[in-house]
Amino acid sequence: MKENQPDHREKRKDEGMVVFSNVSKVYGDGTKAVDELDLVINKGELVSLIGPSGCGKTTTLKMVNRLEDCTYGKIYLGGKDITSMDPVKLRRGIGYVVQEIALMPHMSVAENIAMVPKLHRWSRKRMRDRVEELLAMSGLEPSKFSYRLPDQLSGGQKQRIGVLRALAAEPEVVLMDEPFGALDPISRDVLQNELLSIQQKLHKTIIFVTHDMDEALKISDRIVIMRDGKIEQIGTPTDIQENPRTNFVRNFIGEDRLSQISPDDSVSILIEDPWDRVTPDTNAREVLEKMENADIESIQVIDKNDRWIGMALLRDVKRVARVQGRIREAATRKRKLYIEEATMRDAAEMLADKPFSIPVIDKDDIFIGVITEAGVARLTIGRLKRPAGGGVRNVD
Amino acid sequence: MLTDQSLIELFLKYVARSYPRIFELTLQHLTISAIALCITLTVCIPTGIFLTRREKLAPYVIGVANVFQTIPSLALLGFLIFFFGIGNDNAICALFLYSMLPVLQNTYTGIKNVPQHLVQAAKGMGMTDFQILWTVQLPLARPVILAGIRVATVWIIGTATLASAIGGGGLGKLIFSGLASIRYEIILAGAIPATLLALAADQGFKTFQAHYSPERRAQRMAKAALKHKAVKP
Repeated sequence: MKENQPDHREKRKDEGMVVFSNVSKVYGDGTKAVDELDLVINKGELVSLIGPSGCGKTTTLKMVNRLEDCTYGKIYLGGKDITSMDPVKLRRGIGYVVQEIALMPHMSVAENIAMVPKLHRWSRKRMRDRVEELLAMSGLEPSKFSYRLPDQLSGGQKQRIGVLRALAAEPEVVLMDEPFGALDPISRDVLQNELLSIQQKLHKTIIFVTHDMDEALKISDRIVIMRDGKIEQIGTPTDIQENPRTNFVRNFIGEDRLSQISPDDSVSILIEDPWDRVTPDTNAREVLEKMENADIESIQVIDKNDRWIGMALLRDVKRVARVQGRIREAATRKRKLYIEEATMRDAAEMLADKPFSIPVIDKDDIFIGVITEAGVARLTIGRLKRPAGGGVRNVD
Repeated sequence: MLTDQSLIELFLKYVARSYPRIFELTLQHLTISAIALCITLTVCIPTGIFLTRREKLAPYVIGVANVFQTIPSLALLGFLIFFFGIGNDNAICALFLYSMLPVLQNTYTGIKNVPQHLVQAAKGMGMTDFQILWTVQLPLARPVILAGIRVATVWIIGTATLASAIGGGGLGKLIFSGLASIRYEIILAGAIPATLLALAADQGFKTFQAHYSPERRAQRMAKAALKHKAVKP
C-alpha cells in the first residue's frame, strides 16, 4: 500500500462493494437532490435508504446503475469507477427491482425471469433450469407458474417474480426501489420474510429504498436515514432505535412506534428466523445430539423448499432416535400459527400455555419463522423503555 | 325499374360470361392496394417510431398526414395527375398519402402509451435502446399499430376503386363502366368483390392479432413445454 495517497478518498474505493465518494446530483434548475454523499456499502450487506419523499434516496439508488448520472463525485462498484463502464453492461450486472413491479405483461413468468440471462445470451437449457430453480426457491410450482402471464398472478406473486427476475443472472449487487410499497400489509410481510431468507442463503449486496421505518428496521443490516440529499444518520436498526442522533431521526423513527401495537395486530413483527432447523431426512440421533448440546427443547423440520413439515419436541426426538428413525417421524403439526390470521394475542396465549417456540407458516405451508418467549419479552421491554426518551420530543 | 329477381339473374349471367375479366381486375385491385399498403407501412411505421424519439416534430408530421387525410380522395387523385400523369402510379401514390395517418398516428401513440415504468425497468436491466424497442415497446404497441394498419387497409381497398377514374386499373373499372351504361349487374360485379376483399383483409388482421395475443402465445408455450417433458422426462 502506498503511504502518501494524495486523496484519502481514492483509497476508499476498495473498502466496500459499493462506495459513494463525495457524490452530488444537481439538476439543471439548481436543486440538489443528493448533496456530497459519502457511503460505503459492504459486500453481502443489506442497507436501507430511508427518508421523507424528496430526500434523494431514489436518486442515490438510480445513480448506482446510472439511470441517473452523478454531477460530482465518484461511485465505485467492486473497486471500479462506474463511469468507466459501459452503462448497458453495468446494468446487466446489477439486479433491479422497482415499486411498480414492471413485469412485462406480454411475456410469460418464465420469460420475465429470464430477461437478463437472455441479454447475457445464456443457452435455452441454462435459462430454463435457472427459472425452475428460482421458482422452486420461492415456493411457486414451476410447471404451474412458468407459462402464466403476469396478469394472472396476485400482487404478492407478481413482486415475488420481480425479485426473482432481479436475481436471475446472479448479480453481486441488487437495487430495490420501494419494492414492497404497493403491496397489501400481509403480502408485504411475507415478501419481507422471503427476502430475509433469500438473503441468508445468497448474501447479496442489497441497497433497499423504502419510506417505511418498520420495513427498514426489520430487514436491514444497516439503515441510512436521509434528509435533503444528506445523510442524517447511519447505523444498525438497534443503534438507530436506541441512539437517534438528531430530533429529525427521533421523529422519523416515530416515538410511539411500539406503544401503538395492539394485541390484535398481526404476529409478523414478532417473527424471528430460528437457527434450530433441520431437513426432514436427517437422522434423529444426529438431531438429538445437536439438541442436547444446544440445550433446546424443540426443533423445526423444514424441507429444502422451505415447506414446513412439522415441529419436533425433545421427547419425541429421543423416542425416534432409539429406533434409528428419521427426524420426519418425530415431527408434529399441532402447534402452529398462520401468518395470514394470527394475532399477538394468539401467540401470547399459546406461549403462556406451553413455553416452546411457535412456528409460523402461511396457507401454502411455507415456513416463515418462529415466535419465541424471548421475542415477546424483548418487545415488552421495548415498550417499557419508551417513555424515557419521550421528553426530548419535538424540540426543534 | 328492374326487379330484384331479374337483377340477380342478370348479375349471375354477367359473372358466368365474364368471370375471367372480373378475376383479372380483382387481381389488379389487390396488387395496387398491396403496393400502396407496403409503401405506407415502410414509410409510416419507422417514421412513427422516429417521432417517439423526436417528440417535438410529432405534431407537425402528424399534422401533414392529417391534411392529406382530409382532402377528398377523388380530388387528391385529380390533383396528382399534375405530378404523375394518369395511371396506376398516380393511384398508388394517392392511396399512400391517403392512408398515412392511421398507421403513423397509431404507431406513435401505441409506443407512447407503453407505460414508462416498463421502459425504465427494461433500461435498468441493461437493455439497449433497440432491445427496448424490439422486445418491449413494439410488442406492447402491436394491438394499437395493427388497428391502424387495419383501418388503412380497408380504406386503401375501398378507395382503390376510384383509381380507374384517372386511368388506373382495378375493380373500379367495372363500377364506372356499369355506372356509365346504367347496368346494375356490372356495378355489382365490381362492388361485391371489392367489398369482399376489404372484409377479408379486415378479418385477416383480426385473426393474426388474436393468434399472437400474449394469452394464446403463453398457452402454446405451455403446451410445447409439456410435450418437451413428455418426450424426455
